[in-house]
Order: sequence, then C-alpha cells, then structure tokens
Amino acid sequence: MLRNELFRTATFRLTLAVVAAMICSAALQFFFGYSQASVFEARRSDMLLLREASILQRETPSELEQQVRDRATDDLRIIMNVTTLFDAQQHYIVGDLRNWPTGLVADGHVHVIEPEAMGGGSATVLRMVGVRVRGGRYLVLGRSRHMRTELRLMMRHSMLVSIVPTVLFALMTGIILSHRALSRVKDMHEAIDRIMEGDLHERLPSGKQNDDLQRLAGSVNRMLDRLEQLLDEIRDVGNDIAHDLRTPLARVRARLDRALNAGHSAEALRNVIARTIDDLDQSFSIITALLRIGEIENGRRRAGFGTVDLGALVADIVDLYEPIAETKGIILSHAGADTPIQVQGDRDLLIEVLANLVDNAIKFTPEGGRVEIRTCMKDDCALLQVADTGIGIPAGERKAVMGRFYRSDKSRHIPGSGLGLSLVSAILALHHARLDIMPSRVHDSLPGVTMGIIFPPSTLIQAGN
Amino acid sequence: MSVPPETHRPETVPVSHTGGAAPRVLLVEDDSKIAQEVVEELESRHFHVQHEESGAAGLAIGLNAHFDVMIVDRMLPELDGLTLIETLRERRVHVPVLVLSALSAVDDRVSGLKAGGDDYLTKPFAMEELAARLEALLRRPDNSRHTMLRVGPLEMDLIARTVTRNGMPIDLLPREFRLLEYLMRRPGQVLTRNMLLEDVWNYRFIPQTNLVDVHIGKLRRKIDESGKPPLIQSIRGAGFMLRAS
Repeated sequence: MLRNELFRTATFRLTLAVVAAMICSAALQFFFGYSQASVFEARRSDMLLLREASILQRETPSELEQQVRDRATDDLRIIMNVTTLFDAQQHYIVGDLRNWPTGLVADGHVHVIEPEAMGGGSATVLRMVGVRVRGGRYLVLGRSRHMRTELRLMMRHSMLVSIVPTVLFALMTGIILSHRALSRVKDMHEAIDRIMEGDLHERLPSGKQNDDLQRLAGSVNRMLDRLEQLLDEIRDVGNDIAHDLRTPLARVRARLDRALNAGHSAEALRNVIARTIDDLDQSFSIITALLRIGEIENGRRRAGFGTVDLGALVADIVDLYEPIAETKGIILSHAGADTPIQVQGDRDLLIEVLANLVDNAIKFTPEGGRVEIRTCMKDDCALLQVADTGIGIPAGERKAVMGRFYRSDKSRHIPGSGLGLSLVSAILALHHARLDIMPSRVHDSLPGVTMGIIFPPSTLIQAGN
Repeated sequence: MSVPPETHRPETVPVSHTGGAAPRVLLVEDDSKIAQEVVEELESRHFHVQHEESGAAGLAIGLNAHFDVMIVDRMLPELDGLTLIETLRERRVHVPVLVLSALSAVDDRVSGLKAGGDDYLTKPFAMEELAARLEALLRRPDNSRHTMLRVGPLEMDLIARTVTRNGMPIDLLPREFRLLEYLMRRPGQVLTRNMLLEDVWNYRFIPQTNLVDVHIGKLRRKIDESGKPPLIQSIRGAGFMLRAS
C-alpha cells in the first residue's frame, strides 16, 4: 500500500524519470565511446600489419622461413596472430594457416576475412594482408579482433561500476523526498477529510517552508475562509426566511383555531378566511421575491436591454405612485435635468428598482413629508435619486440594509418582505450601476434618506448617438 | 386589512360562452400535476378541456380540431411550445394562445409573444389569474372603431377624451381615463391586478403595496353615485370587474 502510494507521488515519479535519463545517457556514452575506440583500434591494427609486412619483405627467403616458424610459437603471437608463408602457387610452406584464405588478394592492402574463408583455421574475424616476398612466395599476416572485444568488455565494466551507485543514490534521494512530500500531503488529506465530514473550522496544516505546496495550502485555506463566511450568511438568511415565513403562518393558525372554537357566523368566518388568504399571500410574496432575486443574480440575462430614458421612467413611476402618496398625505415630485438622460438597461427591471425605492420612501415617511425623485448628471455619471424625509437609516446600518431580510429596528412595525433592497442591488449589479445611501438632512428628528443610483459613464447613451 | 363589502365569491364569477356552448380549451402541458389541477379548475368553471402531454400531439390536435383557446407550456417533450405556436400560426390557425412558462425573465416573455402567443403566464400561478386571462383571450376586447364606449350609466368619448355618468361630466386625470377605458372595453370580465399593471401601466412586477387597489379606489370615488352599488366590483382573490349593466 505504502509502496503504491510512494510510486504515485510526483517527486518519486520525477526521480524515476531522472534515473531513466541517466541510464540512457550512460548507454549513449558507451555506444559512442566504443565505436570511436574500435575505429581507432582497426586503424592501429592495419598500421601494425603493413609495417610488419614491410619489415619481413626485406628478409632473405631462408631467414623469412625461420622467422615464420619461430613466430608460430613465440610471444609475438599475441600481437600478430597469423603469420604464414605460401609458395608461388599459394600452397602452404610454413606458419599457422593451412590454406590460402578465400577472398584474400596479395595486393599489399588490408582485407577483412570472415572465419569460414580460412577453412576452420580461426574462430574470429581477421584483418589480413598478403604480400609477395623474394622467390615469388607469398607472406600472409593477420590480426584477430580480440582487442576490440576486450576493449568493449572493459568499457562495459567501467560503465556499470559508475552507473549503479549513481542510480542507487538518485533513487534513495527520490524516496526520501517523496516520503516527506507524502507525509505533508497525508496531513492535508486528513484535514480535508475532517472538513468534508462537516468540520468547517478545520484548516490545512501550515508549515514553515514557503514552497509551492505551502502556497497551495494557503490558497485553499483562504477559499475555506470565504466559503465558511458564505455558508454562515446562507445559514443566517435561511433562519431569516424561516422566521419571516413562520410569522404569517403562525397568525393563520391562531386565527383558524379561534374561528374553529368560537363558532362564528358565516359572515365572520368569511372575514377570517379573507384575512387568512392575506397572510398566505404574504408568505407567497416572500417566496416569489426570493426566487426572483435568485433568478436575476444567476441569470445575468441582458437580452431585455435597450435604451431607457430616466426622465420617462420617473414620470411613469410618479404616475403609478402618486395616488398612494396622496392618500398618505405625502408629496411625490420629480426634479429632472434639462436634457434627457438615457442609459443602457432593461426598462422593466429598472422600473422595479425605482418602484422598490419609492415604495420604501413612502412607507418610511410620515404624513406631511416629501418624497422627491431627482435625475441629474454628476461627474459624467447619471444620478437617479429618491430622497425622503422619513426616519432615515443610521450610518452603521447602511451597508446591511442591502442584505436579505434586513429590517431596521425602527421599522419592525412596518410591513414588508425585507427583500426589496436585495432585489434592487441584484438588478443594479446586472446594470453595472451602484447604490449609494446617505441622509437627506432635512430635519434632525427626521433625517430622511436619499437612495442614489449611480450609472457609470460606460452605461450612458450620449445624446445624438 | 378590511374586506370590502362588495366582495364576490369566486364561484359567482361569470364565464362567457361563445355561442352559448362551453368554451373548448386545448391544454398542452407535460407536468401531470399542474395539468390535472388546471383541468379540474377549468372544468369547475364550465370549460371543456382537452389535455395533451407532448408538443407533437398538441400540434396534431390543434391543427385538426377547433378550439376557442389554447394553453401551451413552453417546455414540452418532442416539440417545444414556441415551435408549436409558430407552426400553428404558419398554418393559419389563429386560436388565441396563452403561454405557460417557468421562466419569468423579460426576454422569455418577449420571445413567447413573438412566436405568436397572445398572453404569457409564469409558473406558479394562481388559478384565478389563469381563469381571468383565459376569459380575456376568449373575449377579445372591443377595439373596434367606435368612438364611444357605453357601460351602464357611463359613457366615454374616446375622441374628446370625456366621460359622463348619466349625462353628467366626470373630471378624470389621464391615468384614470386610461384605467377606465381599459375597464370599459372589457365589461363584465374579471381583470386581475397583474393584468391591470401589465396592460394599463406596462409593468411586469408585483409591487409590495396594493397600488392597483388605490388607483381603483380613486376611480371609484369619481364614477360611483352615492347610495348606488359600485360600478367596479372587487372579486375576492382575483381582481376587479366593471359591471356590465
């Protein structure tokens, strides 16, 4: 098991590759060295043969015969393996060879003669030279290639002697290094297993050395931090959803319970049912709003985008909301720019944004207050503001209000899903626009709030284009 | 929230009958649960419903039999809803079609209407909403060249942009005029809040506040006579209806 694991580590595999490369390079070295050496050896052989032949050529016939006879027995045989004298008809006189080797021409050049050409006189390939000597005779000299075989043996031995310890050393180093990596990876695996079992607070072990494995562990840990934070948020949202759905359902249950026990008249029961439907509708609207936010956040659909005139948008929303503002005794007005401001956007989604902001403004502004919608240009950005004279949002809560289900403590008594601004920020993100929340500062007791939508220059459509 | 006294029970909502017979509805929907619910609901409202599960079967039936209105789901096996409608329109079948979809994004709605659908409803929907929209499709609004609309004591001059009740002029704001015109073109027909938002104000979202009710309330105060039953009735759980007579 461990052996298998070891083999699967990247370090060990790298070691194996290096070892293979080392063996290959040694083999190549051997091959080239040997071929060079054998060429050199052949050349030396030829030189020896020719020089020896030229010396012996100068001898008198009887001396030559004597010399050849001596050589068949003396130590020089190691250097000159074949020395034979033939007569003019190439018949044997004296020496090692019984027959004239087939294929040998007595032209004073070196020939390579295969062993079978000599009629069983030799077992190896011979380099031979045949020359005419005095008296019309022929002298044949030959050297076997046993030197080359020896050379090869010697080189192979030296290669093995040098490569084996190198390979063993490399393998040992590889195993040790892989073991270390393996143990760190094993620690990480164990940490990940604990995380997968649900312990989200667990982090990957952080070592001292600043290597790539460590940097990877750091990245994974940062990712885990973010995931944990997101999961916490989702858990909070989940609790909030449960709470917000539970409230109207609890009311429904209590009301139905009372109606069941009290035995009301048909008219009163009808009233109970009507109010029950209202509560169920509220639960429904929360679910619908959640689904819609999810759809906008995930969809990233921009197919409905076109040119939207902010002035016309505001005029439409004022037309829609004026009656309800009137019934609450609030003045709803529009302060527009002189020139039309046009942005790139989805009219239906933007009107939803504006409706949400105006809806909130009217909801949180007491009777006799004002809600003003302004459109203007500022620093090349288009501004769309909804300013009210209501209870305002404390500075510390301005970021939180865009989270899901956020309800300021001051507004707990006012009905609403608490999802409006999440929807607004989802839609604005789709438009690359952002929301800016600041106090209107009309009065100390009622600071009011100004919700400003800022469309960056890239989203604007310049007049005339 | 108090319940307005003129509340009607849903079962009293009248259903129009083209030629007196029960209107024939073709429902093409592969989700059997939704289909069963729709069939039961519509049959309780005296519609005659035929249900098909696949787009191909829906197309075959739709081409060969006569229906007064069709309900077509966008996502169907074999042949998707939009292709079905396009094919119907190519073959000159002009039955009004209500498109059902799980997608509510605006571009999906637009593509649904472009393919030849007449109305679009996103799942999940209230049965009241479906019934009201079918009703609206069955009774195409009176968009004829009449320059005068008359419903009960109300009379609307579309050229002079004036409204009178029993000959007495009523002063209306442009948005009130627009709302009343929409109602007067569809007398005796249930109109949901969503339909009013979509058609009168061109909005495709559900506002948090009961905006439509406020607008209707304002209009009521102007057109109703004291001591007489209101001309615009609230239909509990569904919407509003301008009394035909």
